[in-house]
Amino acid sequence: MVGAFEQAVLAAMIFVIMLGMGASLTPRDFVLALKRPYGMLIGLVSQYGFMPLVGLVLALTLPVPDPIKIGFLIMGCMPGGTTSNIFTYFSRGNLALSVLMTVNSTIVGIVAIPLLIVTYVAILTATGSISLVVPAQNIIITLILLLVPVAIGMAIRRWNANVGALVELFGSALGLVFIILLLVTWVPRNWQFLLNTQGWVFFGAIGLGVFGFVFGYLFSTLLKLHPRNARTIALETGIQNGPLAIAIVAFTFTGPLQGIQQSVMAVPALYSLFIVITSAMLTIWFRRANAAAEQKIPDALL
Amino acid sequence: MVEGKNSPDIRLVGDVASIAAVRYGSKTAYSVVMPNGMYGKLSFEAIDALSDDFAVYLREELGLKAGDRVGLQVPNSLTFPIAAFGVAKAGLVLVNTNPLYTGTEMGRQFADAGIRALIIVDMFADKLDEAFAIHPIEHVIVAAVSEKMPRLVSGVIRLVQRYWDQSLPKISRPHHLFADALARGAAMRASRGIQVRDYTAGTSPDDLALLQYTGGTTGIAKGAMLSHANLVTNVAQAESCFGGEMRPGEEVVLTALPLYHIFAFTANMLLFHKWGAQNILIPNPRPISNLKRAFENHAITWMTGVNTLFNALNNEFWFTEDPPRSLRGAVAGGMALQAPVAERFKAVTGIDVLEGYGLTETSPIVTFNSRLKFRLGTIGQPMPQTDIRLLDAEGREVPPGQPGELAVRGPQVMSGYWNKPEETAATLRNGWLMTGDIATVDPEGFYRIVDRKKDMILVSGFNVYPNDVEDVLVGHPGVLEAAVIGVPDGAAGEAVCAFVVGRDKHAPTAEQLREHCKAHLAAYKVPKRIEFREQLPKSNVGKILRRDLRAELNKAGG
Repeated sequence: MVGAFEQAVLAAMIFVIMLGMGASLTPRDFVLALKRPYGMLIGLVSQYGFMPLVGLVLALTLPVPDPIKIGFLIMGCMPGGTTSNIFTYFSRGNLALSVLMTVNSTIVGIVAIPLLIVTYVAILTATGSISLVVPAQNIIITLILLLVPVAIGMAIRRWNANVGALVELFGSALGLVFIILLLVTWVPRNWQFLLNTQGWVFFGAIGLGVFGFVFGYLFSTLLKLHPRNARTIALETGIQNGPLAIAIVAFTFTGPLQGIQQSVMAVPALYSLFIVITSAMLTIWFRRANAAAEQKIPDALL
Repeated sequence: MVEGKNSPDIRLVGDVASIAAVRYGSKTAYSVVMPNGMYGKLSFEAIDALSDDFAVYLREELGLKAGDRVGLQVPNSLTFPIAAFGVAKAGLVLVNTNPLYTGTEMGRQFADAGIRALIIVDMFADKLDEAFAIHPIEHVIVAAVSEKMPRLVSGVIRLVQRYWDQSLPKISRPHHLFADALARGAAMRASRGIQVRDYTAGTSPDDLALLQYTGGTTGIAKGAMLSHANLVTNVAQAESCFGGEMRPGEEVVLTALPLYHIFAFTANMLLFHKWGAQNILIPNPRPISNLKRAFENHAITWMTGVNTLFNALNNEFWFTEDPPRSLRGAVAGGMALQAPVAERFKAVTGIDVLEGYGLTETSPIVTFNSRLKFRLGTIGQPMPQTDIRLLDAEGREVPPGQPGELAVRGPQVMSGYWNKPEETAATLRNGWLMTGDIATVDPEGFYRIVDRKKDMILVSGFNVYPNDVEDVLVGHPGVLEAAVIGVPDGAAGEAVCAFVVGRDKHAPTAEQLREHCKAHLAAYKVPKRIEFREQLPKSNVGKILRRDLRAELNKAGG
């Protein structure tokens, strides 16, 4: 479903995109986000409190086969994805907070994800018969993939703001290309698969992200965060690390479990596809809200 | 004429550039910063050399003669200082023009000034057809916003302008490119060994340097005639007021106000440049988030602004969250700085906004509230060699403490309006400039502007000054902006009418606002009528235009 070459291209593109993101940041942005850890705490509650719970509830209530249920659970327990940074950037949200939340949830995830998955699988099956090993290696790779280019991008901007702005522009253009490419190449090749999948699977795969958006936004608005941060947390909560989920499924469900690998994989694959669409819609909406909130300065003040 | 201790040689406007180049050489003088952080910069030496080149081009290639008028219609960009200093060095007269003028407005101003050449930004050059219908211009020079930026960066900016913003119109009139003009000027200067100083050898400091158009009190645009001495003296006067706070060659000043306005022209382009400061030019401060990268990428130490700009920054999340730590001072002018705005800015940044008062007709600074002699809420004390009188309707001085029309006499006062003898006679009386502003003075000599003469509201025989009421209104946490005018009112003669822009969700009701006013104002000053608006009409520097609101009400039938 996702080949080795595709994964390599994906990694390279994410690297360039994150380089551009880094060029839009200054160390000061991180200091500020750390100074106000409130937003990040809220993010962690949304990501590891709420999202896995949604996964569990979907698995408990929807009439779908067992492998799909496990898929829902794994997907719900994933850390924030790097695509959330791209969408936060385009929606003019708080990019530093987004990057920090992604990094933070990935670090916390090393402990939290196995714990959550094992516990919830235990609840789900009441026996805990399915064993899952979360590959810490993949999580660390994701972390590096994310942080190294961001740091390089920041260094570039500090060295020369012009080069920084060019890298940023190129990275964000590539970000758009990346999202479109994902849609254009994946859908036709998996058309048959899409046709053969039952409706409830779609509902769960799409719903997980949408519930995340709604909860993240309402939760942070309720706690009186600035709208810009609320939008960021909404995107961050709803957008999970799809590629990591695909990798985990691919590496975990081998040997005797090989038979159900493709079925489990359906959830992260569908999720990754639809989250791009729902996030894009949300981003357009957020951008409008952002433009409307922009202060009106007289036209003539050129 | 006042000559500051450090400025023995500055006689003409062009000398500011030449002397700064000797003193500060390769330090950066001007940086233009785009919303995404892309920038271009020029050193003091480069500004001096390029403006020399441009002067040669104007005189030799275009054949302009001393005293000819040259229009400059560009937003803040590296073109502005090169062209402005170039025109001055060539012994020509600069005519600053707002780039957002319509073709008709341009044509009228160009015809009135009789300009022979125009430097215009490419984005607005499509308006030339309309302007030419009124006043054909012999020489048109077209400049880009990205002029003198690094090649790759300016290429990207032009690609974005052309294909994404589609903001580069076709130019139907024959024209030269600014970059070519500079190249030709440089070549001629080198090959013929031209001494640019010779162009102004016969120029007297009292000769005209700038025609600065202003609506003035009547609303009809007229050109204030400002001489080299007017401008250069005003710089020296300002220097003696707060020059002590400047670290020569160290300051970085935010220039978000347009340089075609007299405030930024004198304060940023002349005064800060003379001090060796780096001007951070913002081509378009709208939306205000366009300033974010400039604050992030440059250690801005000073800024000039109008009330609207300070108020806008106060309401920007990124600014209040992380106020620039390098900021050392801020100067306000152009319009009354509202006390709540100054207080909030101080709370956010820790900086006292120093307020000056002036007019286009006075080059512009008349009084200044410096840190050494600071009194909040006043416009400070007169500049050196500047006399002020407060006069009643009959032209007699008012008793101490009483409000009267502010009249100014000093070396910075214009010699009159271009080709408008009647307007000049009405404004300049025996060397005193009638400002149309009502002011009071306290025993220590601090002046306070009460309001514009024509904006004063007469309620049952009591004077109400709109500024007083506006200050109270914007002091309400739910009010973003407010404007107050008088409306005819049977019994009382006039009544106070307020226009209010609420802050998102927290906007108060009219009744709550009236309660708030009652707590802070005498009963007759409390607005009888309160209207809520999405925004208020403003001038090109963000001054709220009460006359537009009045016109609007008149049209609506009261």
